[in-house]
Amino acid sequence: MGKRVQIQQAHLGKASIQVKADATKDAVKALLEANKNAGIVALTGLDLDKKIGLMYHMCTNGVIVTIRTEVPKKKPKIATISDIIPGAQFHEREAADLFGVTFEGHPNPARLVLPDNWPENLYPLRKDAKIDEALAKNETAPSKAEPAPAQNEGDLVNIIIGPQHPALLEPEKFSLTVDGEIVKHVEPRIGYVHRGIEKAAEQRTYLQDVYLVERICGICNSCHAACFVETVEEILGFDVPLRAKYIRTIILELNRLHSHMLLLGHAGLEIGYETLFQYMWRDREPIMDLTEMLTGNRVISSAMTVGGVRRDLQEKDVPKIKTQMVTLKKKMDFYHKLFENEPSFKMRTKNVGVLSKEDALKLCVVGPVARGSGVAIDVRKDEPYEAYGEIPFNIITRDEGDSWARLMVRLDEVVESINIIDYALDHMPSGPFRIKVPRVVAAGEAVNHVEAPRGELFYYVKSQGTAYPERVKVRTPTFANIPAFITIAEGGNIADVPPSFVSLDPCFSCTDR
Amino acid sequence: MSKLAMWARLKSPWVLHFNSGACNGCDIEVIALLTPRYDVERFGIKLEGSPRHADVLLTTGAVTKQCAERLKRIYDQMPEPKFVVAIGACACSGGVFKGNYNVLDGVDNVIPVNAYIPGCPPKPEAIIDGVVKLLNSLKEAKPNGKQ
Amino acid sequence: MVIDLWFIFRVLVFPGFTFIFFFTMFCDWIERKIEARMQNRVGPAFTGPGGILQPFADVIKLLTKEDIVPAGAKRKVFKLAPILAFSFVVFAFSFLPIDGAAVIPNSSFAGDLIFVMALITIANFFLFLSGWASANPYGDIGATRVLTQFLGYDIPLILLALTPAFIAGSLSITVIAANQYLPFALLAPWAFVLFIVTLQAELEKDPFDIPHAESEVVGGLETEFGGGKLAFLRLTRDVQIVFGAALVVELFLGGPYGPVFFGLPEFWYFLWFVLKLLAVVVITEYVTCLFARLRIDQVLSANWKVLLPLSVLSLALTVAVATWIYPLMV
Repeated sequence: MGKRVQIQQAHLGKASIQVKADATKDAVKALLEANKNAGIVALTGLDLDKKIGLMYHMCTNGVIVTIRTEVPKKKPKIATISDIIPGAQFHEREAADLFGVTFEGHPNPARLVLPDNWPENLYPLRKDAKIDEALAKNETAPSKAEPAPAQNEGDLVNIIIGPQHPALLEPEKFSLTVDGEIVKHVEPRIGYVHRGIEKAAEQRTYLQDVYLVERICGICNSCHAACFVETVEEILGFDVPLRAKYIRTIILELNRLHSHMLLLGHAGLEIGYETLFQYMWRDREPIMDLTEMLTGNRVISSAMTVGGVRRDLQEKDVPKIKTQMVTLKKKMDFYHKLFENEPSFKMRTKNVGVLSKEDALKLCVVGPVARGSGVAIDVRKDEPYEAYGEIPFNIITRDEGDSWARLMVRLDEVVESINIIDYALDHMPSGPFRIKVPRVVAAGEAVNHVEAPRGELFYYVKSQGTAYPERVKVRTPTFANIPAFITIAEGGNIADVPPSFVSLDPCFSCTDR
Repeated sequence: MSKLAMWARLKSPWVLHFNSGACNGCDIEVIALLTPRYDVERFGIKLEGSPRHADVLLTTGAVTKQCAERLKRIYDQMPEPKFVVAIGACACSGGVFKGNYNVLDGVDNVIPVNAYIPGCPPKPEAIIDGVVKLLNSLKEAKPNGKQ
Repeated sequence: MVIDLWFIFRVLVFPGFTFIFFFTMFCDWIERKIEARMQNRVGPAFTGPGGILQPFADVIKLLTKEDIVPAGAKRKVFKLAPILAFSFVVFAFSFLPIDGAAVIPNSSFAGDLIFVMALITIANFFLFLSGWASANPYGDIGATRVLTQFLGYDIPLILLALTPAFIAGSLSITVIAANQYLPFALLAPWAFVLFIVTLQAELEKDPFDIPHAESEVVGGLETEFGGGKLAFLRLTRDVQIVFGAALVVELFLGGPYGPVFFGLPEFWYFLWFVLKLLAVVVITEYVTCLFARLRIDQVLSANWKVLLPLSVLSLALTVAVATWIYPLMV
């Protein structure tokens, strides 16, 4: 590689190298040679006036290494890396949609997050995109029809799941090509929940952005807020007080509890086990009460802020939390026995939607999806943040790789979260819960990741020295897991598709932003 | 006869839930209505899967451009008499996403709305309150569409 | 022409159509309450005392909705199939002795057991036609699943129904019901248990709930139906559930016969019939709540690999026991 590659000092606090556009693929190959399990975390685009910057954030051994390159805005072309890293397919499609970069050699360069009738050559995340004018012109133009589903060829039938479907809480479309009852091909079409948050984040101050990014996903809202404020704090160079870190940890674990229980109940609904759904959500309600007690809101907690947390933990609340944790732990024993022993449950989830360990590594999946296939990754252990470095807990993995394994991983993680909360409450340090931070953030950039309930959540924030961020990039865990949908559905029964999808715990509002 | 019909409609409102670009916060509160703590089946409310079976459309989310056409189509598929409830700040007016490039701020830009339930997300008690108020209002007024 | 008022009363009011309709509504309410209590909820509560009028509200509401026929649907079939399905199931009901005699007076004949099973099969075929005629892929899949499941499980069902027929020595339901000095459930418990399991599949209840699996096929065969036609489809299903329970009562639990304490025997027969039927409805609903839903291929393999061989064995066992053991018992 020699002189085409220049090692640049760590701007991002984590390693980064700057390469020329045509050397990007070689750089990625070099990384893969060093560690064959390396994967892509995110692909951030940046509008650098005459050029478009591309940052390939790669993950190797739990550390994020960024490969930076640039392409000229007039001719934004670069070779695809999806042939050597299959997990990069969807990242590249998104960059193509939002920045207009062409990835040569990409197997399926179709629209990803923008709607079908979006005008051509309008790239929203470019600074010079005149969105309002182009959209106004487009209103009068005839809307481009959605590409018609492929005609039924021979025995193959096209079935569309979504956007309105009882199985999906959210609107997304999956086109399945089936032969009898066997699924041959899956084509996901996301973008139904794309609200343009990354662009909106640039037009709001950092503090307003906390409330904006929380609403990327109502279920894992605290994790989005936490990751964002941590990234900003890293740019600022501030370290929040220890008490704030412990309180943040408790809120994040409560978030994990409610999210996992939500999913386990929803899984019951998908396999026709309504009773499990009702019981699980009944037991989830006390967690919502606790969140409301601590933060003032059942769902969107708004607890995090740059510099700490907004409210302190009251002493009188601690015993209430502890009693709930004890009750919940007993209930988890009941569910554990149910999952292990109930025959109809096992018939629907065992050996269903299998994701092998090789596939999991190749596709760079994250979270319980990876841990259910034997890949032991967890940001809380790999790069501890908040108080996780001081709190002992276990990573739960299973080797089966089927839907049952993924659901069991989440069930056991609930118990781990209960232990973490107990420990944090017992060892709560005293001190301030918040420090004052300046409104204007000095120029700089930072990346950060946290372990959301669905997996690794990644943020990149760049500041130009004003009160408004220059760029906020979010890579959510479900986005990383999209390739898994395709792999586990193909070759299986169509009746297994809803339970397998649910066991991946998809959150499309996270994916689309 | 029409008194009997009105009684039946008020006592058996079947709902269809559609997420037109929401963050899931409102949706999980809507689903929570079916669970033991809130149990809206007491009011005869059943969650249906097909638009043809439903009387009330519960929409959440600031409508994204991709969802707008689908929302309209689902509304058209529902048989009369039908009602729309916009749940959450986003469905009412766009919420925190108002003005974003891919969002049509609020459901009433696409289909007529009968009831607005603000909140981010509204608590399940608030949603039940909104639905009950809608049902009570039907006793006085006529629903939109043909009667 | 002499108008036989008694005939009309029996057929239309009691124990005929009106009674069947009201009783189905009552059983629907019981099922919903049981399901709710099993799930730690309350269930319908405000429509009438304890929510008992809820099923009526549902049906009336559906009947007052707009009538929509989708553009690509086969109009005549789409409109007629639900009503025909409903009619066939109700007609099949009329051969069952509810208060000691069949609903349509003097209508029972030798072999009416098989006739009644055939009627139910035809009714399900009309359900299949409804889904097929709706020009919707989910309707197609749902319809096919109904047909596959029903036709598949029909075979063990008939084999198991032959057991009480064999013991009673007749294929007429009224005769079978009348000849149970000891309920056949006790004389041939293996057939009784298997019959209930097969019935669970015929009635499309959990764990054999797939044709109505919302998460996979949206509304199944009912997807495109709204308003009045949906009401008939739902009613068909509800009446079928009551019919299935009634069949169990007639074949295995001694029908309407039981101790008569005073007054009119018909009244007591009717009471025993209702009580036994409610017991069966409660049991099947209970089982529904306990299990998850099996996949279609698991359901079909359960049929061919488990239930069918077992029902053949059950028949063989019954014949053996009846020929050699019962004469010793009497």
